[in-house]
Amino acid sequence: MHEYAFFLGCIAPNRYPGCEASAIKTSEKVGIKLLPLKGASCCPAPGAFGSIDLNVWYAMAARNLVLAEEMKKDITLICNGCYKSIWEVNHILKHNDELRDNVNEVLAEIDMQFKGSIDVWHLAELYYDEKICGVQKIKDSVTTPLTGAKIAPHYGCHLMKPQKERHFGDTENPMWFEELIAALGCEPVQYRNKMQCCGAGGGVRGYDIVHALDITNEKLINVREVGADAITEVCPFCQLQFDRGQIEIKEKFGDVYNIPVLHYNELLGLAQGMSPQDLALDLHAIDCTPFLQKVL
Amino acid sequence: MAAKSYNISELDNKLADRRYHLADSNPEFTQKILKTSRTIANMCYQCGTCTGSCPSAPRSSYRIRLFMRRCVLGLENESLTDPDLWLCTTCYSCTDRCPRDIAPTDVIMAMRNLAFKRDIIPKNFLQTVQLIYNSGHGVPNNDVNRAARTKLGLPADPPTTHTYAEFIPGIQKIIDHYELKANADRILKGD
Ligand code: SF4
Ligand code: SF4
Repeated sequence: MHEYAFFLGCIAPNRYPGCEASAIKTSEKVGIKLLPLKGASCCPAPGAFGSIDLNVWYAMAARNLVLAEEMKKDITLICNGCYKSIWEVNHILKHNDELRDNVNEVLAEIDMQFKGSIDVWHLAELYYDEKICGVQKIKDSVTTPLTGAKIAPHYGCHLMKPQKERHFGDTENPMWFEELIAALGCEPVQYRNKMQCCGAGGGVRGYDIVHALDITNEKLINVREVGADAITEVCPFCQLQFDRGQIEIKEKFGDVYNIPVLHYNELLGLAQGMSPQDLALDLHAIDCTPFLQKVL
Repeated sequence: MAAKSYNISELDNKLADRRYHLADSNPEFTQKILKTSRTIANMCYQCGTCTGSCPSAPRSSYRIRLFMRRCVLGLENESLTDPDLWLCTTCYSCTDRCPRDIAPTDVIMAMRNLAFKRDIIPKNFLQTVQLIYNSGHGVPNNDVNRAARTKLGLPADPPTTHTYAEFIPGIQKIIDHYELKANADRILKGD
């Protein structure tokens, strides 16, 4: 068993608890154990906090990192926004002495110190990583293949970009997520402008909801165009934007899509035999029933 | 070599200014942005690849290339008072495509930090600060979700600051160190 401190963030545990439950259960089936990271907070939200004062963003993220350093465990997480904060601040503070000293001065006030002794991983990248899990192991864990479903992959922004600072390679047309989706027995589909943002980030969802939804709407048009039965992503904030966003888009623009939106962990959960009840899919704004009838 | 003269004094002055500063430019502004953004914004050659990659550009007047030029020219007021500053989703498409290896996204973040120092900040950003200050979470738990969590066999509250509230004072100390909560309260009250 590979053990990790499980950083939850906000939207997964507090809005889509199925993402959290499925992460814990699906990972155990492929040899990954998620341990609670007690006392963790918001990552904090990179758009909101980073825009106000990057120094507070560094310090707050560092506090979360130190909690895992004290456990002597690497962190894994299931949200691209959390990845931006936790992975990137870890990376910055490991390489920038001046910023690390500043942060440690503040952390000293609460008897903490950032040492830079752990690494941070997105659970999806651990699933893809041959050394930890790998696509074949995911495939072998599937008991209920989701045959017949066309799935549109949404990579989101903050996992892979900016490319030069990350380690995922090409950000124009990556295909690794498609491999993970195909492992579940369903068909990943390609659509126009696959790498476009969901529209929610950078505080824009809160600042100008119509602007954010207009970006989301463009993605939904492109996803519908190729006849996708569902969208899957690795970010609960993107999930919220596509899922609740479809209700808001209907209200504001009158466009109706009814395309279910599932986190990859939820999809994997279904393929490993978890029931829709085990995943609280009823909390999703867009009814997943037609999709479930097709695949189960 | 002296700049070619056009016998128009204003134009001659501008051409003689090798840094292309306008009357209202503040060179310090450029320097501050370079430091906070940790990117080589002054290397921008205005090719427009960033705007061409930007999901916000086709649906608004927001032009990231314009902000890059404002940065180089030190146009502080123009940058910080433009409401378009807040339309960047921080998607980093521009950053991945910039042929000069600049991170325009981080220039926007630096400008937003400087705007906040002048109390220019959308309300929703400050509300997130207040939520995190009080609960540790930007999106806190609620009763519907607690019931759903229990049904899933998860604890009603996640093992974060929601369960371990003793960690909240530490978070408040960090935020107070930067006087963020006090400023957020003050700015929101003034609205
Ligand atoms: S892509 Fe880079 S060089 Fe081109 S205008 Fe934008 S910031 Fe400047
Ligand atoms: S990071 Fe901001 S400026 Fe750059 S492409 Fe995305 S939305 Fe546009």
